[in-house]
Amino acid sequence: MSQHPPISQAPRPLSPNIQHYRPQLTSVLSILHRLTGVLLAAAAIGLVLGLWAVASGPSGYTIARAACTSPPGLALLAIATWAFFMHLCGGIRHLLWDAGRGFELAAIYQGGWTIVGASVLLSALLWLAAWRLVP
Amino acid sequence: MSGPSAPRPIDRTDTLGSAHTGVHDWWAERLSAMALAPLSLWFLAGIALHARSDYEAWLAWLREPLSAVLMMLLLISLFRHLELGLRVVIEDYMHSAAKVTALIAMRLFCFALAVAGLAATLRILLGH
Amino acid sequence: MSMIVRSSNQASRSRWLRRFPLPRNFGVGAESRIVPGRHWPAPPDARRVKTIQVYRYDPESGANPRLDSFEVDLEDCGPMVLDALIWIKSKVDSTLAFRRSCREGVCGSCAMNIDGTNWLACTRYLADTAPRASVYPLANLRVIKDLVPDQSHLFDQYRMIEPWLKAGSTVPQRERRQSIEERKRLDGYYECILCFCCTSGCPSHWWNADRFLGPAVLLQAWRWLVDSRDKARGERLDQLHDPFRLYRCHTILNCTRTCPKGLNPGRAIAQIKQLLFERQP
Repeated sequence: MSQHPPISQAPRPLSPNIQHYRPQLTSVLSILHRLTGVLLAAAAIGLVLGLWAVASGPSGYTIARAACTSPPGLALLAIATWAFFMHLCGGIRHLLWDAGRGFELAAIYQGGWTIVGASVLLSALLWLAAWRLVP
Repeated sequence: MSGPSAPRPIDRTDTLGSAHTGVHDWWAERLSAMALAPLSLWFLAGIALHARSDYEAWLAWLREPLSAVLMMLLLISLFRHLELGLRVVIEDYMHSAAKVTALIAMRLFCFALAVAGLAATLRILLGH
Repeated sequence: MSMIVRSSNQASRSRWLRRFPLPRNFGVGAESRIVPGRHWPAPPDARRVKTIQVYRYDPESGANPRLDSFEVDLEDCGPMVLDALIWIKSKVDSTLAFRRSCREGVCGSCAMNIDGTNWLACTRYLADTAPRASVYPLANLRVIKDLVPDQSHLFDQYRMIEPWLKAGSTVPQRERRQSIEERKRLDGYYECILCFCCTSGCPSHWWNADRFLGPAVLLQAWRWLVDSRDKARGERLDQLHDPFRLYRCHTILNCTRTCPKGLNPGRAIAQIKQLLFERQP
């Protein structure tokens, strides 16, 4: 299998990959799983900071509470909640694949849409519970 | 390929043979995930239940021995899972010499954060 | 319902998110930027016209690749995308280069990117393509000319897994027996035609083409692992047990979505990972 060099010495172009390849449920949910994971890694820093805020006494706690209940704080918490449920449901889907189940295309797509809906639903339920049901 | 004089990628990368590792980290990520699922749900439920509580209530919750233990288990499994995940992300996208630096920094940071979190939990449990 | 895809044959036709929201030349080297190309109108007696945009690259000029648009007379050519390409080559521009052979979906030569996803041109109906169809070479490969990509390193990776029977050094006196159940385990894997649609569509292979073997090669690796006549299972697993060769697979599953033979590389790779786990609990 010999290769004939092109007559021009210019390097061969690379055919487009992510610039052109069509996003599909498979690739979109996969990159979302990764993005939410990285987001949650940032949120983990927040978790440690929050623990220290409680550990350092009432004044630290007050600052943390003010930050969390401020509009940007609530927005971040809402995003983190959705990211958590998206990553959790996606993670369960991954564990099922690792167990060898759910590889038929129909199952891949059904599972994919399920986790999209479930993550939104579960986030809404959690916030509703925290807002309305807690005295 | 960019032309006759450029080395084939496979000649550059595959002279070192198979590393014979991978399944251990693969399993550790799944095991930490299985631990994280219930632990993080417990944590979220706790946050939601205490959303409107005052400082004393938070302290009382986190001072319960069960809460402290679960929080420590959460921190350990969280940072184990997180470190593995971020390691894969860095390995996927970084290929220069900076990759090793990034991996070192990330691993040390995760370990430090885990220890900091455990220290905070213990301080709440045993402190004033 | 197009939301649940049941067969890889279903072309993606949603109008939402046809490309990832990135700059058009994101990370693209200067030599790979696509410039606008020529428009080739249909002959005056054309009865039913469809526009097809085709990626062109001329190695002799060394100019950047360009996007030509051809008006094809659907009444004058066969029903498949390959028929349109042959029509273009014979009636409009004879310099158009593409690989083709069997025209029935069994050789894998005409694998290319049609409307953003990889498939065989000879088994994709023109009627199932977008109104302005786009035909590009297989993704993430160096282009030799027009729609002909350089697949040499993909075949190098295939060679690396030693895709032949290793049944021991003694020559048997009679045929190597295999039960019906053992032979069934090859179904879904032996049918691979090495078109490389899957590997070319795998984002993980895009970022780590040099070290990640990719779904096509890993599916073939499974084909040999699961062959009951093969005696080298341990060595094959040792060769695959590597954070890059195998474990760059993150179960993205673009491979299973795009396989023109309806095979399931994602499942094959998961089974390799299960085997590796079983021997190292």
